[in-house]
Amino acid sequence: MPFPNVRLASRPLHFIYLCDCSGSMQAEGKIQALNQAIRQSLPGMVAVARENPEARVLVRAVRFADRAAWHIATPTPVEQLQWVDLQAAGVTAMGEALELVAAELRSPPMEARALPPVLVLISDGQPTDDFELGLAALMAQAWARRAVRLAIAMGDDADAEVLQRFIGSEPGRELPAPAAAEAEVPGASGELPRQRRGRSARRPLQASNATTLARYIQWASTAVVGAASSSSSRLISERGAANGADSGADSWAGSWAGGVPLPDLPPTELDPFEDFDPLLEGDSVDHSGSINNLGPLKW
Amino acid sequence: MSWLLPSNSSHHFLGLDQPVRIVQGLGSGSQGQVFKVQVGGESLALKWYWPSCLGRDPGLAERLQESIRRGSPNADFLWPLALVRPKAAQRAALGPAGRGFGYLMALRPASYRGAVEHAAGRLTISLQNVLKAAFGLATAFHALHSRGFCYKDVSLGNVFLDAEAGRILIGDNDNVEVSGRGGGAVIGTWGFMAPEVALGLSRPDGGSDLFSLAVLLFYMLTRHDPFKGALERAMPCLDLAARRRLYAEDPVFVFDRRDGRNRPDPIEHAAALLTWPIYPRELQQLFEQTFGAGLRDPGRRSLTGQWRQVLSASLDQRRLCGACGQENFAEPQAASLCWACAAPLPPPARLLGAAGVVSVAAGNEVHAHHFDPLAPEDLAQPLAQVVAHPQRPQLLGLRNLSCHPWTLHLAGGEAITVAPGETGSLAAALQISSPEGQLRVLA
Ligand SMILES: Nc1ncnc2c1ncn2[C@@H]1O[C@H](COP(=O)(O)OP(=O)(O)O)[C@@H](O)[C@H]1O
Ligand SMILES: [Zn+2]
Repeated sequence: MPFPNVRLASRPLHFIYLCDCSGSMQAEGKIQALNQAIRQSLPGMVAVARENPEARVLVRAVRFADRAAWHIATPTPVEQLQWVDLQAAGVTAMGEALELVAAELRSPPMEARALPPVLVLISDGQPTDDFELGLAALMAQAWARRAVRLAIAMGDDADAEVLQRFIGSEPGRELPAPAAAEAEVPGASGELPRQRRGRSARRPLQASNATTLARYIQWASTAVVGAASSSSSRLISERGAANGADSGADSWAGSWAGGVPLPDLPPTELDPFEDFDPLLEGDSVDHSGSINNLGPLKW
Repeated sequence: MSWLLPSNSSHHFLGLDQPVRIVQGLGSGSQGQVFKVQVGGESLALKWYWPSCLGRDPGLAERLQESIRRGSPNADFLWPLALVRPKAAQRAALGPAGRGFGYLMALRPASYRGAVEHAAGRLTISLQNVLKAAFGLATAFHALHSRGFCYKDVSLGNVFLDAEAGRILIGDNDNVEVSGRGGGAVIGTWGFMAPEVALGLSRPDGGSDLFSLAVLLFYMLTRHDPFKGALERAMPCLDLAARRRLYAEDPVFVFDRRDGRNRPDPIEHAAALLTWPIYPRELQQLFEQTFGAGLRDPGRRSLTGQWRQVLSASLDQRRLCGACGQENFAEPQAASLCWACAAPLPPPARLLGAAGVVSVAAGNEVHAHHFDPLAPEDLAQPLAQVVAHPQRPQLLGLRNLSCHPWTLHLAGGEAITVAPGETGSLAAALQISSPEGQLRVLA
């Protein structure tokens, strides 16, 4: 007789893309690159969802140009998701996009219990509407403050400051001074000095070409989803952050990516070695002797 | 997916005479990627680390070397077989991967699927095989700990299950370390980490493994998290701060006998409420012990030997409900009802060996440890199995799985010989004599 027909309890994990579809996204094939990156990332996202039965991964997307609108309005189980191409034309109603998401993160319609949502904002320019109003509406929602908020800047014209405001900085450290931004997410980079000159997911991720964009989208839809459902192995370097995460009443909200330790960023085309170069040299010096000294094989 | 090592490329690694040909990528994880490879005509798995991961864990190569030198604790580990590192001349051609290294291990057979599939209710498995798999896990950790190692990163994601055979495999053995050394970068997975590790009071070791093993066994047996009850339902957002409270600062076992604050919710946590009563009291007590006194005191956690003993005794008690056919594990002495349909369970016939009692139910097995009080519980080599007559399912017999003939003593005084592979009816049997010992049949 089979094991009873029961399964692990689960919570929803809302994953929302906010996609810039302004006219400038037509240049240099940016909108095509974005459509391609999201579509290609879906099988990996399905695999991560299967590995995490305690999370029900539900995907939505907002597009914004002259106006903001839901591109995928229904929270869709990732295995059922079919990506319909975004089209680019118009200006950049980013503020309105934030308001749309804010309305959905209110409880209800948000469930009473969920995993930290993941919001991924992708833009190549400056908002043309009232960004501040939209951001204020978003951050008024507890679920938005608890969300992992990531931003991807496409090309060099994206408004880094606006994207940084979306990501937020640790309460009490209003300005995203580089040092402060790094101190926030030890889990994203380890406690090691290698990140000093490198990237951090607590700052906008710079995607200068289609390959880098695809890597960041894949990273957000797999590694970050895994971290938000908390299935991934914890590292010793995260412990300090974990302790700090609840040291103050509200200090975890809006900081430290919503109380989720961010996984390592993927290497990029531009500088694939930036994250690990110096340390690996150290490693090979320390241990090459023992590594070279291989015993006989077993078979 | 982009792979660190391209398919069909061949590599000459330091210390290996044979080239390693990459057949295909199998999967990608937080520490690296795993490839199917061909080495000297043999199919193996190769794990190759993300360069970023190596920087964080400088002791990794040495740890793997030690595991390789000392060998696998038992056959249920996908243990590292050899460390491989590209020859200097090849490094540049490998790009970023050339700065790293990897290790070879056995390939996981296709019949093994992630234990996650079981927990998610996506595979069919009998209760008997779930208990056998749990026994396999306890036995594997027993062997690992007996060698002085600890595993550290217990989670459903690192365990694989053959549902048809009730067997397990343990993967991801690269965090394994001599217990107490406290090296390595990985400290565990939320929900499985012992409270003292999650709180940062100590590094994972054999004692914290015992906690994590109990969590894993609870997941296997109930498809539920031992700490998700009313306290978890009261948390709107299950972020890191919430997990810290739930699993480390104020953990309360959902079935704690003294603290009822965290009882399962009848709807959301139905799996726990349905499955927990299936298991014998002795088995429940091992969980209560580990998740009660053992929460704060690693010295009071149930030991691998206790799990093995109680899990194998639970399997010995297995019987089938006459009304619905479901597997039951209640104590044979007590009057009891089927957990599934509430029909009364009559006391079963039993096989009494010098060191154990096995209920007579199709599928139950007799092992060497039922004859020899000094033999450790071991389910790998059954000596006999209870089987139903192919045409008359009510008629049960004992199949001789050993390599010696037995003598079956019947009520009328006759004796018949049951050769290896044959089945002797238990309907009229009083006693079975085998070179391993005697089995008395108690109707
Ligand atoms: N020996 C093996 N045989 C077949 N597949 C394997 C083997 N070891 C790991 N894998 C697969 O490779 C992927 C990544 O491996 P894993 O060890 O879990 O990575 P990490 O520890 O970095 O998270 C997983 O999908 C896993 O199932
Ligand atoms: Zn029944």
